[in-house]
Amino acid sequence: MSRLMRTSEVIGRPVVTLNGQDIAQIKDVVYSAGGGAVGGFTLAGRGLFSGPLKQGLSWSAVMALGPDAVMIRDEDVVSSVTEILDASVRPGGSGGNVLGSEVLTDTGILLGTVVDVILEVSERRTCDVVGYEVSASEALGTHSAKVFLPLPDTLSASGEHVMVPAAAKDFVAHDLAGFGAAVKAFRKNLEGQG
Amino acid sequence: MLYTQVKGRKVVSTGTAETVGRVADLVIDPRSHTVVAVTVRGSGHGDTVLWSDITAFGTDAVTVPDGEVLKGANDAVKELSGTAHDVLGKRVLTTDGEQLGSVSDIDFDPQSGAVTVLVLPSGDIAGSRLVGVGPYAAIVHAA
Repeated sequence: MSRLMRTSEVIGRPVVTLNGQDIAQIKDVVYSAGGGAVGGFTLAGRGLFSGPLKQGLSWSAVMALGPDAVMIRDEDVVSSVTEILDASVRPGGSGGNVLGSEVLTDTGILLGTVVDVILEVSERRTCDVVGYEVSASEALGTHSAKVFLPLPDTLSASGEHVMVPAAAKDFVAHDLAGFGAAVKAFRKNLEGQG
Repeated sequence: MLYTQVKGRKVVSTGTAETVGRVADLVIDPRSHTVVAVTVRGSGHGDTVLWSDITAFGTDAVTVPDGEVLKGANDAVKELSGTAHDVLGKRVLTTDGEQLGSVSDIDFDPQSGAVTVLVLPSGDIAGSRLVGVGPYAAIVHAA
């Protein structure tokens, strides 16, 4: 079963080995080149006074990204954080930080600003960026202040704007439960056009 | 037999018919899902008896051949004992990263020492699903 989650919910989640040890917690999500998938995580120590760690976790080392913990085999699977960050560098990109960016359609309509990134962990053990939670603009004409906007497989983003196809507007969901279906419908719609 | 019921049970030597101590804790090896040793308090000898040295795990007493089988913990037992490895009261995580609750009791087979069931408020989990136990959580295979 695939599972949708907000990036903000993943941050702070404990990283636990199969021996039941919590070796770290998720500090931030690192997106892989292109920004369409999760490449790994930076880590922070557990406990009140612990700061960022020199180790990071690549997505390939993750056994499961669950609702309560990130499971890894043992503490040997962590790698250096620079390795994780290097693998994610996007040529000319913003490093994957889209929070606060304005979402513009390719027809030049502002849909809102990004407040969270929605991830989908699939059965095939991939972790894709499938949408944004967006603080909606008036153009969206929705009643709720925050909506879920599906994303195509690839998109262009700068620190300032995220460009989406105009059709994204028609596949907005108001809750995460219905969002998985909306993403599928949206992507199918795009394929149909191409 | 339930873990919470055996705590404090007396340990009696069949050779001398004397009480040599009381059960303090069970030492569980999560890899084999079995009780590998019992720690004993109030003993004049050592504080650990290996499961293989126990004559019987009865409902009223644990019997051992004599007090001499109570020794200091060997390295294998030391590695599995201590609060970090206590299963009772520990949160349970599946290998999928889902939290199921905390272990409120452990059912084990008094003959073989096999851990048969982890009792949680949310329901029972087969002891054979146990993967590892550490300071943060007991890990079980996802159903």
